[in-house]
Amino acid sequence: MSEPVRIQEADFSQDEEIKALKASSKRMGGIATFLGCARDFSEGREVSEISFDAYGPMALAEMNRLRSEAIAKFILMDARIVHRIGTVQGGDNIVFIAAGAEHRAPALEACRWMIDELKQRVPIWKKEITPQGESWVTPHP
Amino acid sequence: MIRVLFFGPVADRVQMRETQIEFACGMTLHDVIAHLGAQHPGAFSIVSFIAVNQNQVHNKQMLLHDNDEIAFMAKFSGG
Repeated sequence: MSEPVRIQEADFSQDEEIKALKASSKRMGGIATFLGCARDFSEGREVSEISFDAYGPMALAEMNRLRSEAIAKFILMDARIVHRIGTVQGGDNIVFIAAGAEHRAPALEACRWMIDELKQRVPIWKKEITPQGESWVTPHP
Repeated sequence: MIRVLFFGPVADRVQMRETQIEFACGMTLHDVIAHLGAQHPGAFSIVSFIAVNQNQVHNKQMLLHDNDEIAFMAKFSGG
Protein backbone atom coordinates (compact mmCIF):
# COMPACT_ATOMS: atom_id res chain seq x y z
CA MET A 1 0.00 0.00 0.00
CA SER A 2 1.32 3.48 -0.85
CA GLU A 3 2.53 5.88 1.82
CA PRO A 4 -0.19 8.17 3.21
CA VAL A 5 1.91 11.28 2.52
CA ARG A 6 3.62 11.61 -0.84
CA ILE A 7 5.12 14.07 -3.31
CA GLN A 8 5.18 12.67 -6.81
CA GLU A 9 5.22 13.59 -10.49
CA ALA A 10 2.68 10.98 -11.47
CA ASP A 11 -1.06 11.50 -11.24
CA PHE A 12 -2.91 9.85 -8.38
CA SER A 13 -6.18 7.96 -8.13
CA GLN A 14 -8.72 9.40 -5.71
CA ASP A 15 -10.40 5.99 -5.55
CA GLU A 16 -7.14 4.30 -4.54
CA GLU A 17 -6.43 6.94 -1.90
CA ILE A 18 -9.92 6.64 -0.40
CA LYS A 19 -9.68 2.85 -0.50
CA ALA A 20 -6.38 3.02 1.40
CA LEU A 21 -7.87 5.46 3.91
CA LYS A 22 -10.91 3.24 4.52
CA ALA A 23 -8.67 0.21 4.98
CA SER A 24 -7.13 1.80 8.08
CA SER A 25 -10.31 1.55 10.20
CA LYS A 26 -13.90 0.33 10.02
CA ARG A 27 -14.92 2.89 12.65
CA MET A 28 -14.71 5.61 10.01
CA GLY A 29 -18.15 7.14 9.52
CA GLY A 30 -17.16 10.23 7.56
CA ILE A 31 -14.53 10.89 4.91
CA ALA A 32 -13.94 14.39 3.56
CA THR A 33 -11.69 15.04 0.57
CA PHE A 34 -10.17 18.03 -1.17
CA LEU A 35 -8.93 17.90 -4.75
CA GLY A 36 -6.89 20.82 -6.05
CA CYS A 37 -6.74 21.09 -9.85
CA ALA A 38 -4.78 23.16 -12.37
CA ARG A 39 -6.74 26.02 -13.91
CA ASP A 40 -6.21 26.99 -17.55
CA PHE A 41 -7.06 30.63 -16.83
CA SER A 42 -5.64 32.89 -14.14
CA GLU A 43 -5.37 36.63 -13.55
CA GLY A 44 -7.02 37.30 -16.90
CA ARG A 45 -4.58 35.14 -18.87
CA GLU A 46 -4.73 31.72 -20.46
CA VAL A 47 -2.45 29.27 -18.67
CA SER A 48 -0.97 26.52 -20.81
CA GLU A 49 0.99 24.71 -18.07
CA ILE A 50 1.83 24.92 -14.41
CA SER A 51 5.22 23.79 -13.17
CA PHE A 52 6.12 23.12 -9.56
CA ASP A 53 9.30 23.50 -7.60
CA ALA A 54 9.68 22.00 -4.13
CA TYR A 55 12.23 21.65 -1.36
CA GLY A 56 11.47 17.94 -1.45
CA PRO A 57 12.76 16.60 1.89
CA MET A 58 11.47 19.58 3.89
CA ALA A 59 8.13 19.59 2.08
CA LEU A 60 7.60 15.89 2.74
CA ALA A 61 8.58 16.25 6.40
CA GLU A 62 6.19 19.19 6.82
CA MET A 63 3.35 17.32 5.12
CA ASN A 64 3.93 14.38 7.47
CA ARG A 65 3.83 16.77 10.45
CA LEU A 66 0.62 18.28 9.10
CA ARG A 67 -1.01 14.86 8.84
CA SER A 68 0.05 13.91 12.37
CA GLU A 69 -1.17 17.23 13.76
CA ALA A 70 -4.52 16.87 11.97
CA ILE A 71 -5.00 13.33 13.28
CA ALA A 72 -4.34 14.52 16.84
CA LYS A 73 -6.26 17.82 16.60
CA PHE A 74 -9.43 16.45 14.98
CA ILE A 75 -9.29 12.89 16.39
CA LEU A 76 -9.10 11.38 12.90
CA MET A 77 -8.91 7.69 12.20
CA ASP A 78 -6.52 8.44 9.34
CA ALA A 79 -5.53 11.09 6.78
CA ARG A 80 -3.72 11.18 3.46
CA ILE A 81 -1.98 13.99 1.56
CA VAL A 82 -0.61 13.67 -1.98
CA HIS A 83 0.94 16.58 -3.90
CA ARG A 84 2.19 16.47 -7.47
CA ILE A 85 5.30 18.24 -8.72
CA GLY A 86 6.77 18.58 -12.22
CA THR A 87 4.56 20.06 -14.93
CA VAL A 88 0.79 19.74 -15.22
CA GLN A 89 -1.79 20.94 -17.75
CA GLY A 90 -5.11 22.71 -17.22
CA GLY A 91 -7.60 20.35 -15.58
CA ASP A 92 -4.93 18.03 -14.17
CA ASN A 93 -4.89 17.01 -10.54
CA ILE A 94 -2.45 18.83 -8.24
CA VAL A 95 -3.18 17.93 -4.66
CA PHE A 96 -5.41 15.45 -2.85
CA ILE A 97 -6.26 15.49 0.82
CA ALA A 98 -8.50 13.03 2.61
CA ALA A 99 -9.55 12.95 6.25
CA GLY A 100 -11.42 10.10 7.85
CA ALA A 101 -13.15 10.40 11.22
CA GLU A 102 -15.94 8.74 13.17
CA HIS A 103 -18.31 11.52 12.12
CA ARG A 104 -18.54 14.06 9.30
CA ALA A 105 -17.85 17.28 11.21
CA PRO A 106 -14.24 16.57 12.25
CA ALA A 107 -13.50 15.05 8.82
CA LEU A 108 -14.71 18.19 7.03
CA GLU A 109 -12.95 20.55 9.45
CA ALA A 110 -9.70 18.59 9.24
CA CYS A 111 -9.74 18.53 5.45
CA ARG A 112 -10.17 22.32 5.28
CA TRP A 113 -7.50 22.82 7.95
CA MET A 114 -4.96 20.62 6.16
CA ILE A 115 -5.20 22.36 2.78
CA ASP A 116 -5.05 25.80 4.43
CA GLU A 117 -2.00 24.79 6.48
CA LEU A 118 -0.33 23.12 3.50
CA LYS A 119 -0.52 26.34 1.52
CA GLN A 120 1.16 28.27 4.33
CA ARG A 121 3.68 25.74 5.61
CA VAL A 122 4.85 23.43 2.83
CA PRO A 123 7.77 24.64 0.67
CA ILE A 124 6.27 24.17 -2.78
CA TRP A 125 6.02 26.87 -5.43
CA LYS A 126 3.96 26.97 -8.62
CA LYS A 127 4.76 28.80 -11.81
CA GLU A 128 2.17 29.53 -14.46
CA ILE A 129 3.31 29.24 -18.07
CA THR A 130 1.24 31.42 -20.39
CA PRO A 131 1.57 32.46 -24.04
CA GLN A 132 2.79 35.82 -22.69
CA GLY A 133 5.51 34.30 -20.51
CA GLU A 134 6.05 32.66 -17.15
CA SER A 135 5.28 33.93 -13.67
CA TRP A 136 5.46 32.54 -10.16
CA VAL A 137 2.10 32.40 -8.46
CA THR A 138 1.48 34.79 -5.61
CA PRO A 139 0.03 32.92 -2.63
CA HIS A 140 -3.76 33.06 -2.38
CA PRO A 141 -5.47 33.39 0.99
CA MET B 1 31.46 23.88 3.51
CA ILE B 2 28.01 25.39 3.84
CA ARG B 3 25.53 24.18 1.22
CA VAL B 4 23.09 26.88 0.13
CA LEU B 5 19.89 26.03 -1.74
CA PHE B 6 17.52 28.28 -3.66
CA PHE B 7 14.02 27.41 -4.82
CA GLY B 8 11.27 28.80 -7.01
CA PRO B 9 11.28 32.58 -7.43
CA VAL B 10 14.48 32.98 -5.39
CA ALA B 11 16.34 30.50 -7.62
CA ASP B 12 15.22 32.50 -10.67
CA ARG B 13 16.55 35.73 -9.17
CA VAL B 14 19.97 34.35 -8.21
CA GLN B 15 20.03 32.25 -11.40
CA MET B 16 21.17 29.11 -9.64
CA ARG B 17 19.69 26.41 -7.45
CA GLU B 18 22.67 25.68 -5.28
CA THR B 19 26.02 27.08 -4.20
CA GLN B 20 28.62 26.40 -1.54
CA ILE B 21 30.33 28.75 0.87
CA GLU B 22 33.54 28.05 2.74
CA PHE B 23 32.76 27.47 6.41
CA ALA B 24 34.52 29.63 8.98
CA CYS B 25 34.38 29.22 12.73
CA GLY B 26 31.89 31.68 14.25
CA MET B 27 30.03 32.15 10.98
CA THR B 28 26.37 33.19 11.39
CA LEU B 29 23.37 33.02 9.14
CA HIS B 30 23.60 36.80 8.84
CA ASP B 31 27.14 36.44 7.43
CA VAL B 32 25.87 34.14 4.68
CA ILE B 33 22.98 36.49 3.84
CA ALA B 34 25.36 39.48 3.69
CA HIS B 35 27.82 37.56 1.50
CA LEU B 36 25.19 36.36 -0.97
CA GLY B 37 23.20 39.60 -0.83
CA ALA B 38 26.27 41.50 -2.02
CA GLN B 39 26.59 39.12 -4.99
CA HIS B 40 22.89 39.21 -5.86
CA PRO B 41 21.49 42.64 -4.97
CA GLY B 42 17.72 42.60 -4.65
CA ALA B 43 17.41 38.85 -4.82
CA PHE B 44 16.82 38.45 -1.11
CA SER B 45 13.95 40.95 -0.90
CA ILE B 46 11.51 38.15 -1.75
CA VAL B 47 12.93 35.70 0.81
CA SER B 48 10.19 35.04 3.37
CA PHE B 49 11.51 31.83 4.90
CA ILE B 50 14.96 30.55 5.75
CA ALA B 51 15.65 26.97 6.76
CA VAL B 52 18.81 25.52 8.26
CA ASN B 53 19.02 21.76 7.92
CA GLN B 54 15.35 21.73 6.86
CA ASN B 55 14.15 23.56 9.97
CA GLN B 56 12.74 27.05 9.61
CA VAL B 57 14.80 29.62 11.52
CA HIS B 58 14.17 33.25 12.45
CA ASN B 59 17.36 34.16 14.32
CA LYS B 60 19.84 35.51 11.80
CA GLN B 61 22.55 35.56 14.45
CA MET B 62 22.34 31.78 14.61
CA LEU B 63 25.78 30.16 14.59
CA LEU B 64 26.36 27.82 11.69
CA HIS B 65 28.26 24.56 11.65
CA ASP B 66 30.35 22.93 8.97
CA ASN B 67 28.17 21.00 6.46
CA ASP B 68 25.01 22.91 7.36
CA GLU B 69 22.39 23.21 4.62
CA ILE B 70 20.65 26.58 4.25
CA ALA B 71 17.60 27.17 2.08
CA PHE B 72 16.30 30.58 1.02
CA MET B 73 12.63 30.52 0.11
CA ALA B 74 9.91 32.89 -1.11
CA LYS B 75 6.32 32.61 0.14
CA PHE B 76 4.94 29.18 -0.61
CA SER B 77 2.30 28.70 -3.31
CA GLY B 78 1.66 24.97 -3.43
CA GLY B 79 -1.73 23.33 -3.31
